[in-house]
This record gives sequence, structure tokens and C-alpha cells, in this order.
Amino acid sequence: MVIVVVLVSWVIGNTFDNLSTRGIASGFSFLQSTAGFGISTSLIEFSEASSIGRAFWVGLLNTLLVSAISVALATILGFAFGVARFSGNWLLARLAAVYVETLRNIPLLLQIFFWYFAVLRSLPSPRQSFDLMGLFFLNNRGFYVPALEIFDGGGWLLSVLIALLITAFWQRQQKLISRSCSGMAVLLLVLVFANAGISVPVLRSFNFIGGAVLSPELVALVIALSTYTAAFIAEIVRAGIQSVPRGQIEAANALSLSNKDRMRFVVIPQALRVIVPLLTNQYLNLTKNSSLAAAIAFPDLVSVFAGTVLNITGQAIEIIGITMAVYLTISLAIAMAMNAFNRTTAMRGLSP
Amino acid sequence: MRILRYLVPFLSVVLFGAATSAGTLDTIKKKGWLTCGVSQGLPGFSVPDAKGNWTGIDVDFCRAVAAVALGSPDKVKFRPLSTKEAFTALQFGEIHILSRNVTWTQTRDSALGVNFAGILYYDGQGFMVRRDLGVRSARELDGAAVCVNSGSTTELNLSDYFRSHGMKYTPVVFEKSDEVLAAYRAGRCDVFSTDQSGLYAQRLKLPKGNVHMILPEVISKEPLGPAVRQGDDQWFNIVRWTLFALIGAEELGVTKSNVTVLEKKTRNPAVRRFVGTEGKAGANLGLDPKWAVRAITAVGNYGELFERHLGNKSRLKISRDLNRLWNKGGLHYAPPIR
Amino acid sequence: MSDPVIKVEQVHKWFGTHQALDGVDLSVNTGERIVVCGPSGSGKSTLVRCMNGLETVESGRITVNQIDLAGGTTAVEQVRKSVGMVFQQFNLFPHLTVEENLCLAPVRGLGLSEIEAKERAEKYLKRVHIPEQATKFPLQLSGGQQQRVAIARALCMEPKIMLFDEPTSALDPEMIKEVLDVIAELAADGMTMVCVTHEMGLARAMADRIVFLDEGQIVEEASPLEFFDSPKSDRTKQFLSRIL
Repeated sequence: MVIVVVLVSWVIGNTFDNLSTRGIASGFSFLQSTAGFGISTSLIEFSEASSIGRAFWVGLLNTLLVSAISVALATILGFAFGVARFSGNWLLARLAAVYVETLRNIPLLLQIFFWYFAVLRSLPSPRQSFDLMGLFFLNNRGFYVPALEIFDGGGWLLSVLIALLITAFWQRQQKLISRSCSGMAVLLLVLVFANAGISVPVLRSFNFIGGAVLSPELVALVIALSTYTAAFIAEIVRAGIQSVPRGQIEAANALSLSNKDRMRFVVIPQALRVIVPLLTNQYLNLTKNSSLAAAIAFPDLVSVFAGTVLNITGQAIEIIGITMAVYLTISLAIAMAMNAFNRTTAMRGLSP
Repeated sequence: MRILRYLVPFLSVVLFGAATSAGTLDTIKKKGWLTCGVSQGLPGFSVPDAKGNWTGIDVDFCRAVAAVALGSPDKVKFRPLSTKEAFTALQFGEIHILSRNVTWTQTRDSALGVNFAGILYYDGQGFMVRRDLGVRSARELDGAAVCVNSGSTTELNLSDYFRSHGMKYTPVVFEKSDEVLAAYRAGRCDVFSTDQSGLYAQRLKLPKGNVHMILPEVISKEPLGPAVRQGDDQWFNIVRWTLFALIGAEELGVTKSNVTVLEKKTRNPAVRRFVGTEGKAGANLGLDPKWAVRAITAVGNYGELFERHLGNKSRLKISRDLNRLWNKGGLHYAPPIR
Repeated sequence: MSDPVIKVEQVHKWFGTHQALDGVDLSVNTGERIVVCGPSGSGKSTLVRCMNGLETVESGRITVNQIDLAGGTTAVEQVRKSVGMVFQQFNLFPHLTVEENLCLAPVRGLGLSEIEAKERAEKYLKRVHIPEQATKFPLQLSGGQQQRVAIARALCMEPKIMLFDEPTSALDPEMIKEVLDVIAELAADGMTMVCVTHEMGLARAMADRIVFLDEGQIVEEASPLEFFDSPKSDRTKQFLSRIL
């Protein structure tokens, strides 16, 4: 232990000595300086005048956003295709097999480019936008929707209600569902009648202004990451299903359970024992792969922080260090959450 | 992957001393070649041709240095680098010269542990738009989406320009210039912004290039030049004086075709000092007297370089403007050799 | 006398090149208790597994409650609702508690409410003498207890017929009796049963008829008295001499 501490402190000391010998700036004060660059997609308020530290958070939140959406979609798609491979319908089973073999054998970066340029090419320019009721617009700059301009704290309240609603659905608690629904309705009414307005996208000289926008970069990245990872998850699900003993399926059949119920209540829960640990790997891969965002202009952590910020400040050691630490933390968090899930759910009934 | 690429030099700086930074000339003599960081593909500056040979003004500058320092323009290996990687690679000694269209700025010069040896090309950031957009000036770009390359001063100049004119814009930032162009082509953004030299070069790659126009505004000073690692003054001098030799040669009328003749016949004292028949210029640099002759024999003088890669003899057809010699209305000025 | 509740006619079944059943005819009447025995590999397990459609047959006909098992998924599902099955390896669902094991099929398949299903589960757990184990997981129980849970699970569907496929073969000797007792009690209550077993004691005590299978053919069909005391076929004699 002592040796490790001494070694680490020697390495750090030596590094900073070397850096100052070479006239390279070091330290973390750059996080407070003004960013001076814009970011196209941000979950929090950000402008050129914001600090570099804030740019870091924008990048981090974007990485988390893209990873979270993609993990959810990849899981749903992966389970669907994994289960489809056991379908009695020959065509469906073959399609699932072809999907898996195709998607997992093409490099991810190519798929990201494919989706990005496929999305871009298939959409019209802003002046020829697809228009839905004058409120929703779709063009090659993104999907524009009206947005609620919520007072401070309103956003948090809304997200808490949405989270409640999701958990309520998950737990099948009718009361909680109806309560959070009515809570949301009341909140929306208050928001609308209070000073909070609704911002509708309006076409200006170049593009739509106002409202909220879903960028083609985000869409392409989410599609690419989730369909690619889904191919691997489908294989894991297939292996998981195959690991369930035949006797379990026969018992379910003998009890006259339908194919769907057999899958849902007997096979999948037991397959999870095999699936969950492998799924963790896929989630980790997906999160790390999300750093390919930089290739298609999605401002994730790598693009904004290890890209633009690194270029401005040139402090490679600090920035790469922070970036590595962030990915490590995210990965550990995912692994811990999955382990907890495994203990409480997947391994249910297996440890006396 | 990208992080891995930094790891080896990162570890070397973490674990070993800074002593490795001295004696670049000895190092490359021992190795037999020098490593030159260039851009990943910018016509006129550095692009691989059909046979995989690198060509362009940045590339030829490195050849000139190789000719000066190692006796042959072929003793150089090229490393294509993104802007993001470029300085790190130089800091950690992965490359000996960075001759890539990078802008000389105060921060880069003072905080990154590198020294700029001079200016090879006076550039400035501009904008390219589709003609049918009806825009005639950059001042009309309020609200536009702008495609740019990440990790370059381009991003910062853009932000400064729009902020100072009270205009809004959406930056769409790509890692590689090929994707910037592809996204611009696909209509993801209204404007493509980079250094003007780059705009001319990229326009060549677009089908029907004259559908696109380069707006008159130049929003930044972009002095592009070679850089070396801080802490080796001899190597710094060699690179800097190779550049001055190319510029000085144009001023003195020394060209690729006449240099060998002049070497033997000229009586002009300035030219005699240049070709090493008089003075100790070579010895002062730690080189032999014929160093400058080899540079010119290898690549020609600055004017020849410019015309061949960027000017009228090239496909780019960029006018020389600021890149003329000081006595012809431009900015290139080499201190005298004496 | 009413129609037989299970009717097996000229059934042939192959596993690859191996013929498991070779022209089997068998009728089971309501309330009848049949024990199927024979050397291993004789096709006795296959025969019962055919009776609720776990195995399909290559030729011949099996009808249960006048429903032909060759009639597609709906026919099979209908049959399975009235036929309970107990396996050699119990095949309890390890991720569900005992109570959940018992309630799953009644809720999903018969449309019972959670409360009705729980009441039913409690009733049948009492019947197999382990009502106190409802909240445990299967792997926390002994083998004998697990098999009794499996019997209760089948009973929760309130079947007309029970099939047993060597229900005591995977049990430690000291646990066999508790399971046999439960089966004997069921028999005494008048349940129609087809039971594959090596337990000749059980056969003697509860069977109305013993069916002896060898090499996929029914060699002998007799009452227990006749079967044990005056077997007709040589193969039966041979078999009995080996196991008694």
C-alpha cells in the first residue's frame, strides 16, 4: 500500500515537473475560464459566455442522455429479436437471424455514418419542411416541436411526476398511476395559465427558432448504437433462453400456459440469470461506444471536452485524465446497478 | 481508441525525464530520417496522391528541412494527424516538425510547449455558402447552422465573430474535415467555415463547385506555420532558417533551375552567402555550407512552391495576395543571411 | 359404461431411427387407476407424455375427453387444462415461491383472480400436507416436499386426469413414502390416474390395471393380482423376477 502511494505521488510529481520543464501549462484552473464556443445540443442552459466547466457538464449530460436512451432501446429491441429467433414463424425467426448477423458484423462507425447520412439525405431543407398542424416541423436540421417554457423548479416537478408515473406502471399500481396523471394535469394547467408560455417553432431566414428540437445527430446516434447493441443483446437473450432446462418448458406446457405466458413468466425470468451479467458488458460497451458521437457532430463528452476543450486549452493530461475518470465512474455505476439487479431479481429463488 | 493513442506518450512523460527533448538533430541523424506531422488531407497543403506519395506546400517544407538537415528530401516520414492530436504528438516527441495547417496563436506558442518557427502561409477564416441561399455577406448569417471542424481555432473565431455582431448560430462540429464537407453537402448546415485556403481546397471536392461561393469576409488572422518542440534551440533554428531560405531565395532570384549555376558563377555577395561560397551561415546552424542550396534544389523557392501547390499552376488557383513578398505588397519577409 | 376418457389407438412414435412406441392401443376409463411399468427404454414414459401432447406421434390417434390431440394448438391446450402432470424431476419453477408456482397457471390459464388462486393453492397445499411452505422457494425444500408441491401445482388446475411420470425415481429413499402416500390418497379419492412407476408396492396397492410395456409394445395388461401372481408372458416373468 505504502509502495503504491509513494509510486503514484512520484509519478504525479514527475509528470508536473516534466510539464513545467517543457513550458506546458498544468492544473485545473481552465475549468473556470470562459468557453467561447457554442454547443448545438444541450440539456442545460449553455452559451459562448459559459465556463468550460459548464461545457463539461453539457458534454457529460449528452453522453448520459444518448447512453440511457440507447440502452433502453437496445434492450427492448434485443429481447424482441432474441425471442423472435425462437418464433414458430419461419420468416420471423430467419429475419431475426439475418438482423443479428448483419448488424454485428459491420463496424459501428460505418453504421453511425450510414444512419446519419441516411437521415440527413431523406429529409428536406428547412424551407421545405414537413409541417404538421403548423406546430411540428421535420427537416434536415431536426424535428421541431412546441416546448413548454417552464419556470424554475417546474421542470424538476414535472420530471419527478414522470418518474413516479413510470415506476407506477412498472409496479402496476393503479392508484399511483391515476394520482400522478392527475398531478401532471394540474401542473400542466398551472403552467399554462401561469406565466409559463408555450414556445412554438417559427421559420426564420435560415431555420426554425423556438420550441424544442431533436437533432439528426442524436437520432442517428441513438439508432446506430441501439440497433448495433441490440444485435449482441439478441444473441445473449438467445443463449439465455437456451440455458433454461427443457423440463421447465415442459412443465409450463403441461400446465397449459400459452406460448407468450410461458416466455414471460417461466423462460425469461430464468434466462435472466445468464443474460444479466452479459448484458452488463453490452451496456458498458454501448456507453463507451457513444464516444463515437464526435464523428457525426453530436456534442458528447469526448467531442466537447476531450475535443474542443482540449484543443483550446491544450491540457491533454488533465482533460484525458478527467475523461477517463468519468467513463470509469459511469462504467462502475452501471456495473453496480446491474449487480444489484442481478442479486435482487435475476438470482431470485436460487440462493437458499 | 483515441485515448489509447495518447497513452504511450502519456506514460512516457509520466515515467521518464524531460531530457529526451534535446538534440533533435543528433536523434534524426542517428535514425536516418525525420518525422513530420501533416494534415490528414488538404489539397495544396498535404494530400497523398494516387501512388500514396504526400504532396503539398506543407509536405514540401518538411522535404526542404530533410534536405537541409539530413542531405536528402526523401529522408522524411509523414504522419497524418488531426488538429486535436497534432500538438500532443509534438509535445511528446512523436514527430519532429509539425507542418500542418495549424494557426500560430499566443496560447499555442506559450502554453503548449511548442515553438512556431515562422509563417509559411498567411490565411484567414472565411465562409462558404450555396449561391441559391441568396447570402452575399457574412453579416447576413444570423441564425444559420455552421459546419466546422472540431479542435481548431475555427470554432473559436466563429463564436467570436457571431457574438461580436450580435448574431446567433448553431455550431455543428465534426472531427474530420471529410465529414464536415459531407454534412454541408447533405444540407445539414447553411455555412461551411474554415480557413479560406481550406474552403478553396474543399470546394474542389464538391460536384458543381461553382454552385458554392466563398463570402468576402475574412474573420480572423490565421498565420499558418511549422512548429517544433520547445527546448531544442538548434533544431528550432534549422527549421526557422529553412523557411527563411525559401523566402529569401525568391527575393534573391534563386530558383530550383538556376541554383546550381549560381552556386558556381554568381558574384552577388548576398547570393554567395546564400549558396555558402562565402560566410559561415551553415556552420552557425551546425550544418555544412551547402544547406540552403539543398533546400532549393529539393523544392524550389517560396514563389515556386506557392505556384506549384496553391497558385495558378495548381487546381486551387488561390491568388497570392498577402502571401506575396514584402517588396511586392505582401507580408513574406526573410531576415538577411550574413 | 361411458366412453373411455383416454383412448390410444395404434400409436407409433419414433425418435430418429429408434421406435419408442410400436402400435400401442390403450383405453383409460373415468376413475380408473392405471400403472404403466416395464424395463427402461420400453417407451412407458413416452406413452404418458403423448397423452398430454408433450410428444407428438407419427401415426395413430390419441383422444382425451373426446378431443383429438392432433387437432392443433387449441385442442392441445384444451386437453392440458384437464390433464395434470407430475414429472420425475419435479420441474418446479425455481424463481417463483411455492405459492406463485401454484397460482401462475390458474391465474394466466383459467382466469382466476389472485385471491381465488391463493385460496385454491392453500387448499391443495393442505392436501399434500405442506401448507406451511407456501412462501418458500422450491430450492429451499427437500426433494419429497418439492414433488408434493409439484402434485399440488397440477391439482390447482383441478384436472380430471393426473399423469405421473416416475414421480419417485429422483427421490432419496427416505422421501419416497411421503410422496407415495399423497398419490395413494389421490387414488382413494377417485382421481383418474395414469402412473409410470417402478414402485411395485404402489402398483399393487392402488392400481385397477397394470400395463406392462416392452420395446414399445404392450406385452401384458392385467389386474394387479393376475399380473403379480400369474403373469402370462415370458417377458413379464423375466421383468418381475428381476425387480421383485
